[in-house]
Formats: sequence, C-alpha cells, structure tokens
Amino acid sequence: MAEGAGGGERFVPAQYQPRLPLDRLIMEDGADGAGDRMELDVVIVGAGPAGLACAIELAQLAKRDGTELNIGVLDKAEALGEHSLSGAVVNPRAFRELFPDLKDSDFPFRGPVTNERVCLLTARRGITLPTPPTMHNAGYYVASLCEIVRWLGQRAEALGVNLFTGFPAASLLVAGRRVAGVRTAATGLDRAGQPLANYLAPNDLVARVTALAEGTRGSLAQAWLEWQGVGADNPQIFALGVKELWETKQPLDAIVHTLGWPLPNDAFGGSFMYPLEPNLVALGLVVGLDYKDAGLDVHVLLQRMKLHPLFRRVLEGGEMVEWGAKTIPEGGYYSVPARRSGDGAVMLGDSAGFVDVPSLKGIHYAMQSGMFAARAIFAGLKAGDVTAARLAEYDRLVNTSFIMRDLYRTRNMRLAFKRGFCAGGLAAGLMTLTGGRFPGRKIAMEPDAAVPRRPTPGAGSESPLVPDGQLTFSKVDGVFKSGNATRDTIPTHLVVGADVPGAVAEFYARLCPAGVYEVAQGALRVNAPNCVDCKATDVLGPRWTPREGGSGPKYKRM
Amino acid sequence: MSNVLAVLEQRDGTLRKVSHEVVTGARRLADALGGGANVDALVLAGGSVRGADQLGGFGADRVVTLTNPAFGGYAPEGYARAIADRVKAGGYGAVVFAASATGKDLAPRVAARLDRPLAQDVTDVSVAGGAVIAIRPVYAGKALLKVRIAGSPAIVSLRPNVFTPVQRPKAGIQETVAVAGTAGRVVVKQIKAAPAGTLDVAEAPIVVSGGRGLKEPANFKVLEALAAAFGGRAAVGASRAVVDAGWRPHADQVGQTGKTVSPTLYIAVGVSGAIQHLAGMRTSKIIVAINKDKEAPIFKVADYGIVGDLFEVVPKLTEAIKKLHG
Amino acid sequence: MKIAVCIKRVPDSETRVKIAADGRSLDEAGVKFILNPYDEFAVEEALRRKEKAGTGEVVVLALGPAAAQETIRTALAMGADRGVLLQTEGVHADGLETAKALAAELKDAGFDLILFGKMAIDDHNHQVGPMVAELLDLPCVTTVAHLEIDGAKGTAEREVEGGVEVVEFPLPAVLTTDKGLNEPRYPALKGIMAAKKKPLDVKPTAPGPGAIEILALTPPPERQAGKIVGEGAAAVPELVRLLREEAKVL
Repeated sequence: MAEGAGGGERFVPAQYQPRLPLDRLIMEDGADGAGDRMELDVVIVGAGPAGLACAIELAQLAKRDGTELNIGVLDKAEALGEHSLSGAVVNPRAFRELFPDLKDSDFPFRGPVTNERVCLLTARRGITLPTPPTMHNAGYYVASLCEIVRWLGQRAEALGVNLFTGFPAASLLVAGRRVAGVRTAATGLDRAGQPLANYLAPNDLVARVTALAEGTRGSLAQAWLEWQGVGADNPQIFALGVKELWETKQPLDAIVHTLGWPLPNDAFGGSFMYPLEPNLVALGLVVGLDYKDAGLDVHVLLQRMKLHPLFRRVLEGGEMVEWGAKTIPEGGYYSVPARRSGDGAVMLGDSAGFVDVPSLKGIHYAMQSGMFAARAIFAGLKAGDVTAARLAEYDRLVNTSFIMRDLYRTRNMRLAFKRGFCAGGLAAGLMTLTGGRFPGRKIAMEPDAAVPRRPTPGAGSESPLVPDGQLTFSKVDGVFKSGNATRDTIPTHLVVGADVPGAVAEFYARLCPAGVYEVAQGALRVNAPNCVDCKATDVLGPRWTPREGGSGPKYKRM
Repeated sequence: MSNVLAVLEQRDGTLRKVSHEVVTGARRLADALGGGANVDALVLAGGSVRGADQLGGFGADRVVTLTNPAFGGYAPEGYARAIADRVKAGGYGAVVFAASATGKDLAPRVAARLDRPLAQDVTDVSVAGGAVIAIRPVYAGKALLKVRIAGSPAIVSLRPNVFTPVQRPKAGIQETVAVAGTAGRVVVKQIKAAPAGTLDVAEAPIVVSGGRGLKEPANFKVLEALAAAFGGRAAVGASRAVVDAGWRPHADQVGQTGKTVSPTLYIAVGVSGAIQHLAGMRTSKIIVAINKDKEAPIFKVADYGIVGDLFEVVPKLTEAIKKLHG
Repeated sequence: MKIAVCIKRVPDSETRVKIAADGRSLDEAGVKFILNPYDEFAVEEALRRKEKAGTGEVVVLALGPAAAQETIRTALAMGADRGVLLQTEGVHADGLETAKALAAELKDAGFDLILFGKMAIDDHNHQVGPMVAELLDLPCVTTVAHLEIDGAKGTAEREVEGGVEVVEFPLPAVLTTDKGLNEPRYPALKGIMAAKKKPLDVKPTAPGPGAIEILALTPPPERQAGKIVGEGAAAVPELVRLLREEAKVL
C-alpha cells in the first residue's frame, strides 16, 4: 500500500486527545459530595480474575489466621462477569495454586485443548503453519471469562467477601501521597447531570489498602501512575479485540489461530476461533492499535473475515448469540510500570499490563498477581504497616515469579511487529530460537496515540460492507447482542477533544466497534449509551470515564 | 354435558366489543368439545344491556343478563361471587373471559372460588382427548407455552384482538335474571377518562414512528399530521438515533433501551430497522414500513412496505386516512 | 404497618429464550435471574408505606428454588426487614397451587397489606395475587398505578381500556402493582451490607401438582417477510386497501 496516496494529510491522534481528567479521578479524602461512607480493611476495584483472586486469597489467609478482615470488591457491571471478555484459553496454574483442594475438573472450564491449528490466511485460502512454540496450548483449557468470574465471585462470597456489583469506582480518595479509598459513581442523573427521583449519591469506601484491578486501561490505574509519577521503560500499548459467540450447526474440534488476511501488512494482529462446546464457538479478531491506516475498522474486518471459507464453513447456518469488544495491553515486559505498589495501594492484572502476547495469555497472570498482592497486603495489615515500603513486597513477589520471567522471555516479540508483519515475523522467529536474547536490547516503542495515521485513500470508494444479518452484522446489531441496555438519559461519560477535524472524527468512527462515534453532516456525533467499555478510544482519542453502575454490556459467555 | 360459559363485559349499559371475541372463542371451544355443547353468554349489569341481542349472531345459544343494582359498574367481589355461583350451578365444561383489564382481574378470583386453574391471556384454544388445550405467549412473547387443562371447568381468558369475531348464527335466547348480593368490599368509584392528547407510545393502538430518514426535527410535523388523521388513536414514536440527536424526547423512543410497544398498527417512517429498534416493536400486530432504501432491514419485518420518498408518501397516506375517517 | 411482599425470581427480560432439550422449559444455561421487575414496584411501595408510617415491618416472601435466596437478598438490600423462602423444586405451571402455598404462609400473620407485582415476566400467569386474596378472603385491587392510604381505607387507581378506574377498599388488603406506581430505588452499598445480616427463613415446600400440564414450549412463528406494496406515493391507495381489507386494522 502506497503511503498517503491521495488520502490527505497524515495526523497524529495524540494531538486531538484530551488529557486524563485527573481532577475528577483523584480527590482528597473527605471532599464534598458523597452520601454514605463505609470503612473496610481492603477495597478492590474490579471483580475480574485479578481482583477476585486477590479477595479470595486474602479471605483464605484471614480465615487460616483466625483474623476478621473486611474486604469489599467493587465492579461497574450490573452483575458478576458482565463486563468480562477474553478469548480464552486458560493456563490453570493459578487456579491450582489458589484452590489446592480442587481438581482441574472442578474449575469453570469448558474443556481441555485437544487439537490446535495456526493458519496463515490469504483472501481465499488458509495455509496451516507449524504451531510456534509460544502458541502451544496442550494442557490448557478453553473457557469463558464471564463464567470464570461468576465462579470466582461465588467462591469469594462464600468466604465472606462483600461483592458490590453495579458500583463503579469513579475517583481515588487520597490523603497526602497515600491512597485512602475510592468514591463510587453517582446513580440516577439526567443528561444535564441533575438528580432524578431515584438518585443515589456517590459513596466513599475508605480502606487501609486499595487494590486497583480495573482490567485493561483502567482509569484509576492510569490516574494513580500519573499522580505518583511512576513510569516504565516503554509506554503501554494496546490492541483491540472484537469477539462473537456463535451457536453453530457444524462442530469445531480444534482451537484455531490465524494470521495474515484480512489485516493489512502494516497492522499487527490475528484471529482466534475456540470451541466452548463443539457447537458453541467463540471467535474474534485482535488488532494492535498502532495500525497505520486511519480507515481500519476492526469490527468490519471481523465481519469480512467470517466470509472466508475457514470460518464460513463453521458458522454458516448458525446464529450469532453474543458480541463484544475489549482492548488488551500488549506492551509486555518493558511496559509494566516500574512499581505497582505505593502507600495504601497496589495495582493488579491487566491494569498493570501482565499479559503475554506471544502466548495470548493473561488470565493466570492476573490471578497470580492478585494472590501475590493478597499475601503482601495481609502481611502488611498484620504488621500494622501498609506503606509503600511494606507493600513493595508485592512487586518483589511478582518480579521473582513466572509472571515477569515469562514476560521477559518474550519481551521484544510484539514490539518487533511495529515495522510490519513480515519483518516482525522474521524477528519473532529469531527471538524464539534464541530464547528471547535476539536482538539483545529493548525495542523502543511510542504510545499508540503518537503513531501517525494515514487517512484512507479515497475513503468510501471501496465497496462498504452491507451486513446480511446472517453471517455479518452492523455495529448497532453488535451492541444489541452485547446486551447493552444503558439508560439513554445518563450524562455522557466520554470526554472528546476540542476541534476534532473531519478526518480524525472519521478515524474515531472506524476505531470504535460499538458505533459510539459517527460523522453526520461533517460533524462528530457521540452516541454514548452504545459504549461497551472496550476503552479503544481512551487509548487513541476521546477519554472514557466511569459512568452510572450497570451501564454498558451484559456479557454472558464472553 | 359440557357447555361453555362466555363471560362478557359491559360499560355504562353497553356491551363492550371484546365480548364478540369472547363469544367467538367460546363457540370455537364448544364446537371442539362436541356433543352439541352450547354457549351461554353471561353479562352482569344494573339493567338491560345494549348489544346483548346481537350475540346470537356470533354463536351464543343463550344470553343471560344477571342484574343487580350493585352491578352497574364493575364490582370485583360481587361479580366473582355471582359468576362462580352460576358456574357451579350450570356444570360448565369451560369458562371463557376476555383478557381485558377487567377480565384479567376477574378470572383469577372466579378460578380461586371454584378451586380451578386458570390460563390467562391465551391466543389459541382447542380440545384434545376431551381436555382443553391453550396456547399462551410467555417470556414477553419470545416463546409460546402450550398447556393442557385437566378436569372441568377449564378456565381461560382470551387475549384481545386475537379471536376475530365470526358470524355464526345461533338462537341467542335472551334471559334476564335478577340476582341478590352486594358489590363487595372493593368499590369502583368512577372511571376517569384518560387525559386527552397525552397518548403514550407504549399504549397507543397506532404508532407512527420516525427515524433519521426524516432528515431534521421540523419534519416530524409530517408524522404528527398522519397521527392526527387517526383521530386521537395514534402516538408519534422515534428511533434511538433521532432521540440521541435531540430531535424528539426520550419518552417517545421505541426500542431496546426505549419503550417496547405492540400496537395494532405500527408505521415506521424513515426508520432503517436496527435490531434494537426491532426489539421494541416487532410484536406489533401489523407493521408498515416506508423507506427510500429498499435494502433497509425494516422491510424484513414489515407486513407492508412502500419504497419511496417519505415526504411524498406520507402526506398522501395522511390524506387517505383522513378521507376514511372523514 | 406490617406489609408482606410476594416476589419471584425470573429470567432477565433481555434473556434470549432458548428451549431446553425437554421441549417444555427454558434452557437456563447462561441465563441471568433477577427480581421480577413488577415486584420491584411492590417492594418499593411497601418500603415507602412503612417509612411514611414511621414504624412497621416489611417481609419478603418468595416461592422458588434455593437460588431465590439471592432474589430475596436484593429486596432486603432495598430495605425490607426479613425474608422467607418457600423452597421448591421444578416449574409450577398452575398459579393456583402457588397461591395456595403462599396463602398458607400468609394466613393469620396479621399483615395490613400484602403486595404482589401485577405479573411475572416469565410465565405471564397474571393471577397469583388475586387468588391469594380469595383464599384469604381479603379485598384485592390489581394493577395498581396510584395508591393512597388513609388509616384503614385505601384508594387505588388502575388503568382500564380508555380510562382509569378509581377503586376504594378497606385494609387489610391484597394489591398487585403496575408500572407507574413509583420509581423503585437502587440498593445502596449500606443496604447491601445490611442485607447479609437480615433474617432469611428457608422452608421446604411442596405445592400440589395442579391441573395444568405443560405440553410444549416453542419459539413464536417467525415474522413472515411482508410484501412491498409498491413504490412512491402511487402505492398509497393499495396500502390503504390492504390495511382495511386484508389486515383489518383500519
């Protein structure tokens, strides 16, 4: 593809991105505006695998020790798991460690991986490749993250953990350099921000330790890093995944990964197709947000991809039953913040970037990080000391564990693809051969938003995808299948930059898989209730902020 | 002997139209039960009921008006007692109500008094092996439940607008019986007229909905004119896109995150038919789509469609409706 | 004021209905269960009545599987004082049997009001409230959208075709609640915490089999793609004819 051919000026998304609204995300403990105030020992933000594993391990440690510990877990989804989305093929090691008395068959997995294939796609064909060593999944399990989260939540609740679903944490409460707790988002506001009859004021939850387990691109996690001035060798970079769940007529007997088509050469990514049951198939397309073509649209690419014989064979005659989207932190080793602990605070899982891209794994790292955090927090609470120095034990545990060992081994693999698929593939191969020693130094990255974008040459000339409602679907159809029934009258939660030019507005419209952004009569229109909290535009454009609890998708088996 | 009792409704001494549907359903059930089963129509009132003499035409063998000074308006407890007594005395094989506001209130009371089960809001009745089989929509119409009611009488209420009245002439012998008894503890003091001009989209029997095809807010006057032509029976609805753009109030929004409507007639104008809009209106009885894009998904669910410029089609339709009501 | 609220655990209204292998019930895999939305109006109304009276008790009663304890906890988190679960197994198609089980529990307990949602959004039975009233010989008003209570006398409004019925009744009474009666509150964090410690009695119950047998649960017939009547304004007369003569809606 010729760069910039007839497609107008390149632009850098960062130029139009508003700053993180720190004034809203961080406030002094005791600030006006809260309703109830509750005191807990530990408050965990996010009921995902990291937050729940942390809660469970803490409760187990307290139980064994005979101490009473008041643990609260907040989640923005209306019910457990409804904002959780992953592939997923799960490495069970963290489950085994967290539940030593249980067997693999007790865990909420759908089934072991028996067959696997990696294919390189062209528009019409698929060439089966030898499976790269990092992508071997024997001994692992296909699972739905929603189901994992619901199961973990039940375990936590049985141990006496307080689960507060439908309560997003909107701000960090701080006292000096210390995190003192969180303030939840208000509920029952109209578009203009005025209280309705069933208005529920924000609540302050103060705790001795606050664990940030918000998942990918957490707002409080970002705010905390910025506020504390914590950096990393590389900025964090992200990918966007769009996923569908299908009930199929034809069974699928293997997990399948593909590379190549329908992605352009200068984008990094690939697809997955996993059988949860022989006739219940999860599939998705994941694309690095450092793609160069401003016209790239992951949702549309996924729709086109399903027309390829490899997928069509499986899906034809079936029914798409769920749809969702989520970003994935892909920076790996060099993007993990220098520290993930401070006075009264720790940061877990995806929020901290514990994801290994070459093996496409994050869930077990998330859980393990939660368990390490729990151990450090518990020791701190016992000693009556939860200062940064004491909680640094959490960082030590992570740094000396398989989490950072695994990330180190593949430290440059994703980064190598910044120059495109072919060069990246060659370099990644060398890295595998050398056990990560090639190229011997860090490949420097820039934030996704700093990567210049090429406006689509002659946008609109290629035939637009007309969804057939059978195999292919529009974004609005997708949002419907995500279960999103957000109240239409809530105040907008997206912060859009001032003076966004038409080409950039168009870029947002393609970027957002949920049709939140539209260009109508040359102007950007924001359909905020469509948002499924994937955070893609938070990476490249308009900022996402927490909104009324229970808003967003209602994933069931994603 | 397994006659069928059709419980009818009157308001202000005039038989309500839904009664024709009840007699039609009862007739169908009586014929299916066989053995020359009769349909007895029963109406409770303060005196004589206008329209009762026409029920023979819909298949009533006998029309009984139970009169009591306390029965002029609906008296839940008095009615329930009188009907239950009548059913016990008559040895009926089935009792049929309308699943109207009154019928849905009355039928459970009668059923409990008779210690018999009740199938409310049924859309189909039949007989198999001597037992009444009923079909009812459940899960908000996302599934149909088919049940067998063992023993007798089988008590059902029929969903309005489903059992189209059929002329099926029978004797329709008129009988008036004065019954004793009080209204009971629950007393209907009055029926206030619904406030005029504020017909809600969720309740209107006709909904005219507009989408982005209207191009700008001011153009909704085209739809308002069409709605007005229906003489106060139609409300104007809107798609989410239009509400999000601030063209119409949220209260008018039809769809997954707006209101779910199932009017008798839904006219979608310039609405493309995104799944989330369809989720809010697909249970409408008749759907008409007017759109210039013949590929629009709305045509897949519409009973009748016109492909064309709404600014030409809608005024023409308004004219035609006006003439009809003129 | 002593108020009982009868509630039901039902599949979320957004649930995609998939028929189970037996062809008679809902496949519950992946289905989320919630407090029946119409029952939320009943819980809210009970709480408001108690708050207004300044004293009293709100008791939540459910009939259902063990998992309905969660549903009761939701009502307790909204502010109800205690819960009772009549624990059963299986599906109860016959509303009269449900009514009998509830009536047995409610009998002679001295409630001033017994509230129900007007119907459950799963089975649409639309009958248990008034049946309970008959079994307990209590006055009953259904589908209440407006309510005033003055001492032992109540006035309710309910929507009927073309109007609003104004109904007077004495207390104690059974009422079923409709949309519009109130705006149910969200459970507050403190309420959720408090709900964990509120009493919840679980009583194994076996309602009678009833006389209604489920034969089949089927998807509704697919909406047939209709016809394009024609193009442009010229097609209007034909459309009007079809609406009158074929669809019979004009």
